[in-house]
Amino acid sequence: MHNLSAIQIRDRFLKGEVSAVAIVQYFLDRITKYDGQIGAFLSVFPERALAKAKELDKRLAAGETLGKMAAIPVGIKDNIHVKGEISTCGSKFLVNYRAPFASTVVELLEKADAIIIGKTNCDEFAMGSSTENSALQKTRNPWDLNCTPGGSSGGSGAAVAGRLCPVALGSDTGGSVRLPGAFCGVTGFKPTYGRVSRYGLVAYGSSLDQIGPLATNVSDAALVMEVIGRHCEKDSTSMVRNTEDYLSKMSGNIQGMKIGVPWQFLENLAEEPKKAFNNSLEILKNLGAAVVEVDLSILKYSLSVYYVLATAEASTNLARFDGVRYGVRSPRAQTLDQVYDYSKEEGFGPEVKRRILLGTYVLSAGYQDAFYKKAQKVRTLMIRKYKEAFEKCDIIATPVSPFAAFEIGAIKDPLQMYLEDIFTIGINLAGLPAVSIPNGFTTDGRPFGLQLIGPQKHDVDVLTTAFAFEKAEPSNVAIPELVK
Amino acid sequence: MSDIDKKTVENLTKLSRIECTEEEQEAILRDLKRILNYIELLNEVDTEHVPPCNHVLDDIANVLREDEVGAILPREEFLANAPSQIGGMIRVPPVIKQT
Amino acid sequence: MSKHYSDWEAVIGLEIHAELNTKSKLFSSAPNRFGDEPNTNITEVCTGQPGALPVLNKEAVRKAVQFGCAINAKIAKFSKFDRKSYFYPDSPRNFQITQFDEPIVIGGTVIAEVDNKEQSFAVNRVHLEDDAGMLKHFSSFAGVDYNRAGVPLIEIVSEPCIHTPKEAIAYCMAVKAILQYIDASDCNMEEGSLRVDANVSVRPKGETQLRNKIEIKNMNSFSYMGMALEAEIKRQIHLYMGNGDASWDHLIQQATYRWDPEKKETVLMRRKESADDYRYFPEPDLVPILLTDAYIQEVRSSLPELPLQRERRYVKEFGLAGDLAFQLTSDKILSDYFEEALKDCGNARVLCNWLLVEFPGRLKDMGKTVVDHGIPSHHLGKLVSLIDNKKITGRIAKSVADDMVAAPGKDPELIVQENPDYQPVHDHGEIELLVTQVVTENPQSIEDFKAGKDKAFAFLVGQVMKLSRGKASPDIVNDLLKKKIGDKV
Repeated sequence: MHNLSAIQIRDRFLKGEVSAVAIVQYFLDRITKYDGQIGAFLSVFPERALAKAKELDKRLAAGETLGKMAAIPVGIKDNIHVKGEISTCGSKFLVNYRAPFASTVVELLEKADAIIIGKTNCDEFAMGSSTENSALQKTRNPWDLNCTPGGSSGGSGAAVAGRLCPVALGSDTGGSVRLPGAFCGVTGFKPTYGRVSRYGLVAYGSSLDQIGPLATNVSDAALVMEVIGRHCEKDSTSMVRNTEDYLSKMSGNIQGMKIGVPWQFLENLAEEPKKAFNNSLEILKNLGAAVVEVDLSILKYSLSVYYVLATAEASTNLARFDGVRYGVRSPRAQTLDQVYDYSKEEGFGPEVKRRILLGTYVLSAGYQDAFYKKAQKVRTLMIRKYKEAFEKCDIIATPVSPFAAFEIGAIKDPLQMYLEDIFTIGINLAGLPAVSIPNGFTTDGRPFGLQLIGPQKHDVDVLTTAFAFEKAEPSNVAIPELVK
Repeated sequence: MSDIDKKTVENLTKLSRIECTEEEQEAILRDLKRILNYIELLNEVDTEHVPPCNHVLDDIANVLREDEVGAILPREEFLANAPSQIGGMIRVPPVIKQT
Repeated sequence: MSKHYSDWEAVIGLEIHAELNTKSKLFSSAPNRFGDEPNTNITEVCTGQPGALPVLNKEAVRKAVQFGCAINAKIAKFSKFDRKSYFYPDSPRNFQITQFDEPIVIGGTVIAEVDNKEQSFAVNRVHLEDDAGMLKHFSSFAGVDYNRAGVPLIEIVSEPCIHTPKEAIAYCMAVKAILQYIDASDCNMEEGSLRVDANVSVRPKGETQLRNKIEIKNMNSFSYMGMALEAEIKRQIHLYMGNGDASWDHLIQQATYRWDPEKKETVLMRRKESADDYRYFPEPDLVPILLTDAYIQEVRSSLPELPLQRERRYVKEFGLAGDLAFQLTSDKILSDYFEEALKDCGNARVLCNWLLVEFPGRLKDMGKTVVDHGIPSHHLGKLVSLIDNKKITGRIAKSVADDMVAAPGKDPELIVQENPDYQPVHDHGEIELLVTQVVTENPQSIEDFKAGKDKAFAFLVGQVMKLSRGKASPDIVNDLLKKKIGDKV
């Protein structure tokens, strides 16, 4: 069953060929079998999932019409709330925090009869590109257990790659869905900013965060988007006219489409990823698309802008973690000042501390103009440049990352880690939709990813292009040897 | 350009209320210096007359809700996550009155 | 060198925080209510749970715009929210959502009556922000209650254009009245739905530069505020004056003081060594407020009669003195009561006196107002009407008032009917007898009166009134006495 897509699993269930309970049990067994090595899940919900499955079996037998995601097990990144379950966000601070309210996306999934099977590991508070910043456990790449699965949604990426669940949700602030997608050889989609509700997602960079699906194929990702891509009244930044029929528009036909490539930005790409990327462009051309050059040289500033804005927002978003109302209060704390100082000292890992301090700095008196306000202005320029580029093309293509999955522990320098996101970060700054789809392998079998980017609100175009590419080269959708 | 030094880092830890050891502060100073050098690339960009981007979707405004009471968070659920509580309130060490 | 207090002037700026009386909070749909059990009016939004997001309350925006229109301010067509960072347990997120550089209301004027003259006070801005929770202090711990966290506030910031405690009180009364009349706030200082902080500095008259200011907090009533300002102004002047001609910049350092009602002085709370770095930046979870001319016009035209309009109407239509009209109209409940009572009597001046002086005097010890005490407005109207129609004398009316206070809700006409001592005597014959008696018994007074001493006449009138136990109609007594004395000539 793990070779099937989510849609296929659902259809077999609806036809009565397999029960929901059997489906859930199957994946629970796989988790038991493989997750000890992979470490994708922080928590698994066998009782909850089987209870839901039983209920679905009953309702199906009673002849009820069930939701679009009936019986599909879904993994949820641990910074997205499932009401009544622990949300750690990969941090020691929240190991005992039970979400007192539901996230909109999980509510929508459950209304569509999906089955939440567990919470997946991530970099602490979504800050990182490899999931190595999780304070709780290591997640390993199913393609090579010595390598990272990418981050920050590495748990979700590894879970899907390991076929421990057919789809999973991640969150993407600078590439955190797309990078795990690429490193794990699965499809990862980040919607237009505002397309998916952030209510119930623990905020990192509020103007950058979006929740997106990870799946083994584009159609499954599109299915999840149909369910979670809705206007939400509890999120003031939620797009108004929102819902799209992605699946019905997946024709596989991209005849006449113009694909823009920002060549100057890709100058220093190494041989292997360059080869994979060029192959992908050939495939697209064979499908009838034309490749044009676009100017996105401004993206060389994208890391600088990102690390000012994301950390500024994060420094205030994480201020609430103070040991007063929830989270782990330091047992050493005797005075109120110590409640704050020690709880944060003990609860936050070094990357989180670093980003909070940097964010505080760029907002502080005397520096705000030079850093925060400047970065906001450069962000405006980036948005303009993307708009200009899209006047010449329909979709922009780049590799997802300059490298494939790297060894755990290989990158210790924070600045070097930040550079992993160089191709993905600009998209969040401009609020654009983008997908990562597998497009090849290194010689030693680690996946590469192709990134396709669309103008704001053109989520359908991105997914349909990805679908066409996937259809043309299905060999990229492969299963790691470990979990076959 | 950015004159970040030990004093600055100390001040930052105070502002953000994160207690850091001497060693941690030194490591942070080193890292921040390098990151800030990178960030200072932004000075190359001409942003004269460019407005700041406060919202990436520029067509959303006036998101308002009706003045109606909705579902409340029951006190027991709120306090279930509290590190310390007393009499229905969150309990903290005594505080100097600030009005 | 300025040698006398009167050579100095105070410069006062007031910041008034008013809780809006919306049903739900500013960014969360939790109930906006006072006095409930701790942490029973909360949601995930106003307790700062991770993953919760703010959504702006439509009615709070409207009330802020209404207030802005009522003070003839400019309503900003574009305004936005900002995060203000500081750590304190009553703050659910350790940042407040407020409006920093683009507030919803800009400028404006508050007109209040000071010493029987209308005076204009300039407002700098009015903005929306959310309130913090409440910290309850105990000896070995503190408890935090988030019921108040997230309640909508408007902060009304005056220009530093107030110069005396009297002006400050008048300004506050006028602002409170506007909030009351447009039904934007409960304006209850005891419950904290209206709070005032003052910034005070002094300088020699004629000096244009502003000297260092002191912030004063914890003034729980307008009269305490007056006392606090009075005390602080004296303190500052004293400091400067005792310094001789030496440079003064260091004498008063920016600091926050609180008013101590026991000690009756301002007490240092904390120094402001450096400006707090609140690191304001635009709130990314909220989108801007864009208001149209049509909306602003609609809100403006929906304004009810405002206190100033009503005050001016009272002065014009009823001939009330400015100060009295201001006092009356500054409390909407009292003012509405007045207008109701007027329907039954038509004598505004006399009614005003009973409402502002006579009855409050009788109710002061109980700490109640005429309304609280349950005396219906038309009873007051009837009382005044009885006096006007000479059914009872002024003296008897005072006793009737005492009875009305003792038995609130009892009709004064009934009170008069039931008590024979209250029945005025109009019978000329009866009064004639009394007049004759008094005239006979007081020959000296008559001589005095004829010698030009008018007081003697009043004395004689008084004697007749005394004999009649206050029931004789004063007009008739006057007439008959005059006649009698005239006869005697």
